[in-house]
Amino acid sequence: MSRAEADRLRQRLNNELQRLTLDECVKCTICEQSCPVAGVTALFSGPKFVGPQAERFRHGASVDLSVDYCSSCGTCTVVCPQGVHVAELNSLARAVLKAERGVPLRDRLITRTTLMGRAMTPVAPVANAVLDNRLARTALEKVVGVHADAPMPTAHPEPLRAWLKRRPAPTRTPTRGPVVFFHGCAGGYFEVEAARCAIEVLEHLGFEVLVPEQGCCGLAEQSNGLFEQATASVRKLVAQLRAPATGVPIVSTAGSCGGMLKHEAHEILGLDDPGLLDVGARTRDISEFLLELHDAGELPLDFARIDLRLPYHQPCQVRSQGIGVPAAELLRLIPGLEVVESDATCCGIAGTYGLKREKYAIAQAVGRPLFELVAATHQGLVACDTETCRWQIAKATGVRTVHPIQFVHQAYGLGRVIAPSAVR
Amino acid sequence: MRDVVVIGAGLAGLTAALRLARAGRSVTLVARGVGGLSLAQGTIDILGYTPERVLRPLDAVAAVPPEHPYAGLGPDAVAAAVTWLRDELGSELLVGDPAVNLHLPTALGALRPTALAQPSMVAADARGGLTYAVVGVRQLKDFPADLVAGNLARSTAPDGGPLGATAAWVDLPARPGEADPSGLTYARSLDDAAFADRFAVAVRDAAGAGDVVLLPGVLGVRPGAGRRLAELIGRPVAEVPLLPPSVPGLRLADALRARVAAAGVRILLGSAVTGFTADGDRVATVTVAAAGGPRALAASDFVYAPGGFESGALAVDSRGAIAETVFGLPLTAADAAGLVGPRYWAPHPLFEVGVRTDAAGRPVAGDKVVHPNLYVAGGILAGPEPWREKSGDGIAVATAVRAAAMIEGGAR
Repeated sequence: MSRAEADRLRQRLNNELQRLTLDECVKCTICEQSCPVAGVTALFSGPKFVGPQAERFRHGASVDLSVDYCSSCGTCTVVCPQGVHVAELNSLARAVLKAERGVPLRDRLITRTTLMGRAMTPVAPVANAVLDNRLARTALEKVVGVHADAPMPTAHPEPLRAWLKRRPAPTRTPTRGPVVFFHGCAGGYFEVEAARCAIEVLEHLGFEVLVPEQGCCGLAEQSNGLFEQATASVRKLVAQLRAPATGVPIVSTAGSCGGMLKHEAHEILGLDDPGLLDVGARTRDISEFLLELHDAGELPLDFARIDLRLPYHQPCQVRSQGIGVPAAELLRLIPGLEVVESDATCCGIAGTYGLKREKYAIAQAVGRPLFELVAATHQGLVACDTETCRWQIAKATGVRTVHPIQFVHQAYGLGRVIAPSAVR
Repeated sequence: MRDVVVIGAGLAGLTAALRLARAGRSVTLVARGVGGLSLAQGTIDILGYTPERVLRPLDAVAAVPPEHPYAGLGPDAVAAAVTWLRDELGSELLVGDPAVNLHLPTALGALRPTALAQPSMVAADARGGLTYAVVGVRQLKDFPADLVAGNLARSTAPDGGPLGATAAWVDLPARPGEADPSGLTYARSLDDAAFADRFAVAVRDAAGAGDVVLLPGVLGVRPGAGRRLAELIGRPVAEVPLLPPSVPGLRLADALRARVAAAGVRILLGSAVTGFTADGDRVATVTVAAAGGPRALAASDFVYAPGGFESGALAVDSRGAIAETVFGLPLTAADAAGLVGPRYWAPHPLFEVGVRTDAAGRPVAGDKVVHPNLYVAGGILAGPEPWREKSGDGIAVATAVRAAAMIEGGAR
């Protein structure tokens, strides 16, 4: 990482709007109360301390290295009653720190989600076996710094695009107009099931579903301080999502990545690109989209019963979108489905945070209340909107964790029934 | 479209949302942050000073001047609202009689009047002859035990009798490697039974003479830890709220938020309300700065409980113009000139500025209702400085209950 990039980022940290919100901070400590990381470790001195407080002392220098222990969950900005952009400030400060001190190879590798998907798919069984292998994981931890017990995705043998080509063309004529579907890297390569379900639900509801070729949103790169790469990724994705149609809703099953398009790329990367703002304004999480239909009286409620007690966790980066908890409301429309909402702030993984050797134990401690809730209430399944959170929950609890849309799909009788994991 | 949109996540907003949801209304609660309730002491003030110290708050409510927010409510409505909150949260969290003020020690050793308090605090209620064994924790800088004990020992109980106090310290780190924990960090450690037991033994061994062991307000984030500590210590125990992060405040806020969520309220946090649209004189939608861009929330009725100057709902610009920032509501003063006193502790009439309402709690311009479906509650109301007279909680709860009742009753 170059000195020049560090200077550029520092310039932004010093000059941009985010910094103006510093003076709004009244040191009330609400962000400290809510920070999931500071709650479990003394290594992170808390969002107020490393943010609005330390920022006044930086004058371009990094004064508090503990900012690297921020997980970028964004909770501090959500809870701030004064409108201070605490999380955005801290993300920038960390990017400066990393630009100055160099980014570990590990942080470059784990952010290449699309690449990982593409590389793993042709050799999915082999890749999955390697990631399941204890010896290989120990080596990975030693050499790269990815914790041996951290959750890793399972590559799907058939990526979404291959399924889209293979499946018969939808027979129903669209009655509601087009939507663009954003599935994210995980929906394309790892959790293809959730993406397929979403497409089939939208088609069932009468939408024409346009699925453009799409890459990574850059969120993982951004969280790791790789702002240049993140900017390139999100710009490319914005162009891809705008290609098929103008003005139509962009519906997302990638919970956190939707937040990147809606506000994080604008507020953290500082992109004022009109294309990004257009995409951000049109992006809806799929549960948000369906609940908007319901509020307008346009969602058919002919759901089949699903008799199940279902723990549901809203990821931090979905909560920060300010949309309420649409997945929980949507799932409660399904007869028989008893939704147990977690009030956990974060599952701990925060994208790639919980993969890292030095942060793994913190991430597990952050997630513990959620894991305990799951263990106490589950009947073989958990619902959660973001991929990495699902991997974290499934790995920690041993309970199959799926996207909420899969229950909607099942309740509409569209052919798939979610198999629960064995109840312990 | 929702039945009601409530703006604000403080005591007033949460109360209104809970009452309306329980009454079967579809409610969306929207707020810029998570609300300020967790910063407060975790007690419910009704009226503490008029400016003399108040012993019987409902009697004092009956005697407020006509421009006071309590004047339009009356003592019965205030008592009913506060009692409802107490019973809703249960005796694990709030105890007391709205008609009688408690007098509880502060973290400086002063006595603070309040109507309802948490069960872990009330053993310290000052009465003549009571003696306090004040115990500080070396790791917690915001509870200076010697100062607290010294000030209490030279104070007089409301009944005119003397108070006594001794000071002692325990030295017990909560989290390894942390020299300067917040009260919240310490409280989280005390939620762990093993650490709580060690803490109790240390306090028991260190505490000096006194009827009640007075401790910093960090006795567990979950309610109920004080009871077990008292058993182990062998004397009544009382905790004193500290500077934020306030653990008793957080207990109250967590409990109320959990009830609001369980009642089915749609909660949009981190989303500022930036404006509104009207349909004639009615409010049709409020505009929310959600991620991705503005969204319009439509509802039949709106409750506006955003707080006052401290939350930014009321603002003064560089020319001294005072404004309400979302609806542009008429205020009791438009110009801040001359409204800020010369000294910090002097009265500042600026903080009396706010919205005036009709008997239903709807903002008025002169005596004309501005929007027939907009109700206000809490700190945005015009009236005496609430922190000076210690009336903010009671005003928030009672005006929120009124707003909910008017909407339920279809007041037009």
